[in-house]
Amino acid sequence: MRDMLYTEPAPSTLTPVARPTVYAVSSHDSRSSVSPAPPSIPYPYFRRELSPVGDSDDESVATPPPPQSAIDAVTVLSTNTMLMLPTRWSEQDRMPSLSVSLDGRELTFTGPSCMGDRESSAARANHPIPPACGIYYYEVEILHKCPKGPISIGFSAPDVRLSRLPGWERNSWGYHADDGWAFPGHKEGSVYGPTFDTGDVIGCGIDFSQNRVFYTKNGSFLGMVFENVGKNTEVYPCIGMRQTNESIRANFGSAPFKFAIEEHVRARRDAVWNDIMTTRVDWGLMGLGPRKTEKLESEESKNAGKPEITEDEDSKAPLRKLVLEYLAHHGYARTARAFQKQCAERSKTVSGGEPVQTKVEPVDDDAAMAVDADDTRMAEGPSSGGPGNYESEHGLDRDLNTRLSITNAIIRGDIDTAMSLIREHHPSVLEREQGLILFRLRCRKFVELVLEAGEALRKVKDLERQAAVNPTESAITPESQDGVGEVIVGEMDGVGAMDVDDPSLEAHNVSSAVSSTVHTTVGTVSSGSPPVRPMRSQDTHAALAAAAKAALHTALSYGQTLEADYKSDLRPGVRAHLRRTFGVVAYDDPIATGGEVGETAGQGARDALAAEVNQAILESQGRPAHPALETLYRQTSACVTRLGLLGVGAAAFADVRKEFLEG
Amino acid sequence: MPVQQKAKIYQEEWERRLHDVQVSKEDLNQLVMDYLVIEGYKTAAEEFSKEAGMESPVDFDSIENRMNIREALQRGDVGEAITRVNDLNPEILDTNPSLYFHLQQQKLIEYIRQGKIAEALQFAQEELAPRGEESPEFLSELERTMALLAFESSPMMPASVSELLSPAQRMKTAAEVNAAILESFSQGKEAKLVSLLRLLCWGEAMLEERADLPKGKQEDNNQMIAREKLTGA
Repeated sequence: MRDMLYTEPAPSTLTPVARPTVYAVSSHDSRSSVSPAPPSIPYPYFRRELSPVGDSDDESVATPPPPQSAIDAVTVLSTNTMLMLPTRWSEQDRMPSLSVSLDGRELTFTGPSCMGDRESSAARANHPIPPACGIYYYEVEILHKCPKGPISIGFSAPDVRLSRLPGWERNSWGYHADDGWAFPGHKEGSVYGPTFDTGDVIGCGIDFSQNRVFYTKNGSFLGMVFENVGKNTEVYPCIGMRQTNESIRANFGSAPFKFAIEEHVRARRDAVWNDIMTTRVDWGLMGLGPRKTEKLESEESKNAGKPEITEDEDSKAPLRKLVLEYLAHHGYARTARAFQKQCAERSKTVSGGEPVQTKVEPVDDDAAMAVDADDTRMAEGPSSGGPGNYESEHGLDRDLNTRLSITNAIIRGDIDTAMSLIREHHPSVLEREQGLILFRLRCRKFVELVLEAGEALRKVKDLERQAAVNPTESAITPESQDGVGEVIVGEMDGVGAMDVDDPSLEAHNVSSAVSSTVHTTVGTVSSGSPPVRPMRSQDTHAALAAAAKAALHTALSYGQTLEADYKSDLRPGVRAHLRRTFGVVAYDDPIATGGEVGETAGQGARDALAAEVNQAILESQGRPAHPALETLYRQTSACVTRLGLLGVGAAAFADVRKEFLEG
Repeated sequence: MPVQQKAKIYQEEWERRLHDVQVSKEDLNQLVMDYLVIEGYKTAAEEFSKEAGMESPVDFDSIENRMNIREALQRGDVGEAITRVNDLNPEILDTNPSLYFHLQQQKLIEYIRQGKIAEALQFAQEELAPRGEESPEFLSELERTMALLAFESSPMMPASVSELLSPAQRMKTAAEVNAAILESFSQGKEAKLVSLLRLLCWGEAMLEERADLPKGKQEDNNQMIAREKLTGA
């Protein structure tokens, strides 16, 4: 939920800790798609609200700095949902006898005092409270109250008459100053708290996880009251008064509160969270194991109160599957093996332990299943019914090893090895997405060739530089100290100006097969060891120069073939990728260049390609492109967000990211 | 706020929401590491920290300590387990009477299992009976355990009693100790992965009450996410 919280770009902030549970106003954009504007409020009114956020902020000195920066809000725009919080009393949604101060926080009763019960004056705040905020809280300071004045503080729905005190009409709720009673929407109120008078600060909160209300007086909690508040209707902060000159001043969160709302929110969050955490995991529902509802129920009744422990064993096998599949998916082979081994050992200690008097429940069938992983539906996790089980432990191993060799080859830039392994083991992968994977690999191959050429050229230049600095020493390799270190500098200059178009090399019409042989030659040169051989420096230099030349030719002709082969592929993704790929040629050290070029050339791009290929291989085997674990995480997060939007207050207390990833 | 009629969640919306969830491989690796550590898969955790290039969240030896205690309990050596827990941190048992009681209860069970009836009786009288007065839960557990003696491998033994001799009872005690140790290290007592699944089950149940979800959503999600990644830019 937290992801969706909009932080008000400027002043009128809410309390720092309560804040995460609260949506704030953003300076532009429309209203929430889920809480449509009450029809009574015309659009122009709304615009005014959107004018600079300076409203209600005459106390900015006391305003705590916003704990979240506006940057957070930006990351969230994709949810397309904007939930507004009340920030001031409405200019329109009030009885005319109540005047609103400029900052929108004060209400003063300016008309003649009301006489009968029928006549009161109420005002609502500018926005309904989005239930997704979990808990909403505001405070009201009684600036002036007449001796008989029954000031009422509370909430009301948008359609409740404003000529009545909140609490007297259906869908309104109020706590009254004169008698301390609480009224739940009709005149049958009940004793609730102390009376309140001029100078008191009354806090008023709604907890959407229980749909109940609470009040505070001068910072003390007065208890929960009312039921089903805000369940079937939007609610607004609402105040009613009846006597001339009475006035109140509200704090919608722009200033610190009297009451320690942060603590209250934290306590509620913990309570709600603990409650959620007693939920039994239905492994059948997750697609991770057989449905065992009956068994679970009987067990539950036996061990009521300790769900975490009775569930422990039920949860072991499916969890192991889930984790093992995740490890296998991403190719964490050693971890997966160690994990499998430990699982197997554990099953042994448990079921094969010492003799036990009574019948042993087959605690460990599931665990065994998880270990040899063959019947399991784990490969598809909860997501699909397709094929794709790991055939056996060995199948898993073999499969994983191949996949790992492929991805590792890509990660170290050895595209030829990767391609030939893919051709051998997963030929269909290259054709996926109309050859997209093959295209990506070939582009990468080209980049690797360019990098090799650059590397080879740098070696030549290094040698030249060394020679220039110290002509004799540089030429002497460890085993050739007797060697004659004469270096003809002039000859070197020629190398730098090597004619790249020189057609003398055979590397011209390289097919990918030919290029792979060239690649190996270049490989030895660039690996860096050869110069140590006892060799005359001229020879060294000449060899290096020739290698560099060859490498460049190889790269360029490979690029030409690539361009020719994909000339007619007009997919925008392909075009863009091709363009980026060729951009690399323009730099002699693309990785050091940084920026987009560096990205295209660097290790990150290899890793990303490896991940793509990994995914494509898994998909070609009918396995999910994502590990079940990831899907479950996504589902959980989406589910909680959606619940918040549906008005389930408890969802506000389940911050998936914070709870599971940052906590 | 139309809570009463069911909302309709369309496929596209649901897919977009799933897709929009911010989660990286590194994030999920953390979840997996947490699981390996909490569940005590020491070697796997070590390998994982190497393979995935992650900092280890805890000293891997502490996992081993925890696992030794667990294994001691699983083979019925309660005394060894108690000594080891106290070596690790004496406060764990001092501050957790319920856990200590369950360990003592387990010890009693092991005496009975081994047929050491005299020891069992003495131990029950000296160590457990006084605790039985402390709380009704302790007392009823004590009674249940003593019933083992009354039935003594008779086929008449009710399941609620005989299950005390099952491996599951040992696992249960071991899990409780494990959780207490984790808590004393201020680590979660349950793997976050499990909490995640609890939240999902809770959430899906709540959502199903309130909204119609697209059918077969998961398959399509996977495919969709995959497609987008492959097609790239």
